[in-house]
Amino acid sequence: MIRSVALVRVAAVSVLAALVLGGCAKDTVRYGDARGVETVTNQFGSTDLQMIAEAMTRSLLDAPVVTAHNLPIVTVQEVRNKTSEYIDTRAITDSIRAELQKSGKVRFAVDAAGMSNQREEIDRQQDDEYYDREQVAEKGRMVGAQYRLEGNITSIVKQAKDIKDVYYKFNLQMWNIRNGLLEWTDEKEIRKTTTKG
Amino acid sequence: MMVVLVALLAAGCAAKKGFEREGFAFGCPIGDSKVGSMEDLIETKVTLEGRRTNVIVTELRCTMSGDLMKIEANLNNDAGQIRRVAYKFRWMDREGMRVGEEEAWKPVLMYEKSNNVVAALAPSGKAADFRLIVMGQD
Repeated sequence: MIRSVALVRVAAVSVLAALVLGGCAKDTVRYGDARGVETVTNQFGSTDLQMIAEAMTRSLLDAPVVTAHNLPIVTVQEVRNKTSEYIDTRAITDSIRAELQKSGKVRFAVDAAGMSNQREEIDRQQDDEYYDREQVAEKGRMVGAQYRLEGNITSIVKQAKDIKDVYYKFNLQMWNIRNGLLEWTDEKEIRKTTTKG
Repeated sequence: MMVVLVALLAAGCAAKKGFEREGFAFGCPIGDSKVGSMEDLIETKVTLEGRRTNVIVTELRCTMSGDLMKIEANLNNDAGQIRRVAYKFRWMDREGMRVGEEEAWKPVLMYEKSNNVVAALAPSGKAADFRLIVMGQD
């Protein structure tokens, strides 16, 4: 009897202690450096995305097709994800496009993904009588791209007992749409290794 | 007489090396800074931020690619162990205002007793000056 009472007391104290501790433990939220080196896991991360976007942009800005040409008009096509993990490749190409656009050396034409929105807006302006007829966007005035950007990202993953090694290779190409020539291409390699313990 | 002439010519060439244009040293913009050697240039252009590291910059070279500044920096790890550092370039216009967004930190692995050349191209023609920022990652 005495033993069971003691057990109940211990249980009650434990529950109370857990409640008190649980109530005291507070989550801490802090802002971090969005451009800092991120090594939480060895999956594709923000640092990889930023390094790839920067390397590709700077390489393209130094390419003859950009340095010699007068503001080439480019459209962004798909970057195929050939890795085994989910990677938002659109985020990579969006970053590359933003940096190139800011450089003022490349212009971008609407891409396939944005075409339906573009068409819809032109149709909306054309069909709505509330718009000034002289200022509405006319059909047949859009400028087609001279070059298209496409690429792929691949990975090789190797894992042993206490080590996991991931190698990423990002390849980007710029093709001349009119003659089908490859005008520029570059690669960025990244290796990340996780060791247990 | 001939020997003196050759010595004078050689001395003249040596003094001029890297300082072909006023306001530039080793191809890099220096403004009004007093830069007389590679060490001075590195002191002017390289900054350590955050965690300190023994990895040092031993050389800086600048050139122009069209209207974009191109830079190469030699990082040296003199230690007998692998070192990890991160670096980024900060670009400034003629008025000293930052050009574009802050670059991402780029991690670099430095083997024992090794050198690694890192290169960068300015994000736009507005960039007229730069700083190389290095941070330890060990």
